Amino acid sequence: MTAVPRRRMVPAYLATGGRSRPGGEGFERLTVLFADRAEPPTGLETEHRRLWDLLRPGALTVVEAAAHLRLPVSATVFLAADLVEAGCLRARAPIPPAQQTDRSIVERLLVGLRALR
Amino acid sequence: MTQIALIALALVAAVAAAVLARARAAAGARAATAETALTRSEERARVAEGRLARAEQQLREAQENVRRAVEDARRVEGLARAAEDASRAAHDAARAAEDAARDTAQQGAAAAARAEEADRRAAAAEARTAALFAEIGHLAQERVAATAVRLTHTNAPLVGPLDPPAVGPEAVRALQSVLDATATALADERERVDAAARAAMRGATSRIQTLLYQIQSLVQQLQHDNDDPRLLEVDFRNEVALRRIQTVAVLCEAWPGLARTDSPLAEVVVGALSRVPGYARIKVANHLREQRLAVVARAAEPIAVTIAELLANATAYSHPETDVPVTVQQGGRGALVIIDDSGIGMDEDQLRRARRLLAGPPDLLLTELGNPPKTGFAVVGKLARQYGFSCHIEPSPYGGMRTILRIPAGLVTVVDDGQPLSVLTPLPLRAGTGPAPAPTVAAVPPMRDADEQDGPQLADRHHQPGPHPAPAIHVVPDPGGEATVADPVTAANRADATVDSPADDGSGLPTRRRRRPLAAEEPEAPATPAVPAVPAAGRTPERAAAHWQALQRGTDSGRAAVARAASESGGRDGVATRGSGTTEHSDTTPGDTTPGRPTGDHTAGDHTAGDHTTGPTTVPTPLEGAEQ
Repeated sequence: MTAVPRRRMVPAYLATGGRSRPGGEGFERLTVLFADRAEPPTGLETEHRRLWDLLRPGALTVVEAAAHLRLPVSATVFLAADLVEAGCLRARAPIPPAQQTDRSIVERLLVGLRALR
Repeated sequence: MTQIALIALALVAAVAAAVLARARAAAGARAATAETALTRSEERARVAEGRLARAEQQLREAQENVRRAVEDARRVEGLARAAEDASRAAHDAARAAEDAARDTAQQGAAAAARAEEADRRAAAAEARTAALFAEIGHLAQERVAATAVRLTHTNAPLVGPLDPPAVGPEAVRALQSVLDATATALADERERVDAAARAAMRGATSRIQTLLYQIQSLVQQLQHDNDDPRLLEVDFRNEVALRRIQTVAVLCEAWPGLARTDSPLAEVVVGALSRVPGYARIKVANHLREQRLAVVARAAEPIAVTIAELLANATAYSHPETDVPVTVQQGGRGALVIIDDSGIGMDEDQLRRARRLLAGPPDLLLTELGNPPKTGFAVVGKLARQYGFSCHIEPSPYGGMRTILRIPAGLVTVVDDGQPLSVLTPLPLRAGTGPAPAPTVAAVPPMRDADEQDGPQLADRHHQPGPHPAPAIHVVPDPGGEATVADPVTAANRADATVDSPADDGSGLPTRRRRRPLAAEEPEAPATPAVPAVPAAGRTPERAAAHWQALQRGTDSGRAAVARAASESGGRDGVATRGSGTTEHSDTTPGDTTPGRPTGDHTAGDHTAGDHTTGPTTVPTPLEGAEQ
């Protein structure tokens, strides 16, 4: 992004607050995060607040949020887990590939529906 | 006449002849008597002559006798005189002998005195020598050692001579000069050894530092490829190791070792914080009026190192349950970073030592830092001296210590808006809390209220009684509702926010700023005849929103027409479209669950426009269609 490559001043691990594991389990790259309420939560740290503000207009996956925050996914998960725990964010597990709708099933359903008429 | 004179003369001659003839007859008679008397006298003379001759003989004998007597007398006299001389000589000799004897006696006494004196002196000299030996022994065993210790520990007592009067001032001086020479030699040697050690360490640390930087880069890359949180921990450990090495390197007169650009002070503080174990306890209160207040490039890393060291001290010497509040504020000129801890504090001695180190003494040796070396203050002092900032330490109202880092105006600048701050950087309390109220609230509350609104946790932290010396910032009168006008950046953000969209809350976060260019590109999407083309320079968020809405409306109407046609004709196309739309959308659709997200309100400035390129535009219609 920047023309001059520069060594980072603020490392991503600060988001962990010194913990080795995020507060919640099951966050993946494609876990969808969305704000749980319209009012901004109070008493948040800056980085949590920024994640919440980022999600306020709409949902983002963890990996997208991480890209916006310029943080690694692993660090973003810490923030997201904190917000979920605090109750101002909700997370939805990504659709596993095995459960993704199979096109052939849809087509068969379509055929069946047409056959109903 | 002549005949009368001749007759008178012949008469006088006849009378003289008559007198002469009678005197001759009388003289003949007397001569005959005198002849007889002569003959008798001659006789007597002859007798007398005999007598005389006898007398003469007797006299001659007598004379002889006398002569002999005189000679005898003379001889005796000579003898007497000789005797007298002899006696006088004897007398003299006796006197001389007496004198000599007296002299000898005196000399003897003097000699005895001298001998005594000599004895005394010898004893004194012996005593002095013994004392001197004792003193030298003392010098060798105690005083030299004490002097050596004193070189490393300035508070160590110096040992004086055992008994200065016993050895005399000269010896004391001589011993002292020995000691001084020893101390000088020792100091020089220490200096040399220390310099050698520093050079060796410098070489070693520079290599390790390079390796750690390489590890850091690798770990950072790994963090983006892998989601294992342990990588974050590795990164942290690496960073702490890096700080340690950097500290040693700086102490060894190496360059802090990182070229940086002008760095925002808030980021520098957070960066420093990240290098300290226990960083979670460090709570930064950002009171900067100008969020982009930065440290100039050359001082950025040194100041980060300095703050890291001060924070490391604060966290290491306080209870692990306590917070370490850090206040970053803008002074009249320059900036201040104030670090408090509620730790064990320092006694007078430690405080004096700390202040001495913080002043950056130029002749500091590695060996003076103790074992293991306490490098923190020494490094801070060194950097402060080199780069011209200053650091002060005093007892903190929190109970522990407070360190105040003053960054002078010369080391402070303002960065441009080009580079976004890290999200992990705490926002200024004013800007961070300002945007909290929703735009529906008529009057934006003044900042002080906003601070308090921030919840009890924050309020507690930033408004603890007394300790935060930042009241000036809080009492700055806020001009009405536009609380952050003083801050150009936030003000700019806010201005953007107000024109962006009514739904936006005017948050001063840089994320929105970043997405703006994406929004600006959108008018290039399929042109809608309803909206006249505008020159690029005239684009505003409203116009972009209008374009976007027009596009959306067009899409909606088009799809509605297709759907109608499909439902009327029962053609396969419409259903297929709906089906694919549903599939694509099923995992990214908060539109129906998020109340604050009506379709029409999405505008160009909003992140959904850029990020969910297909979401809000294509999704609602099929859903609505399905519901219908």
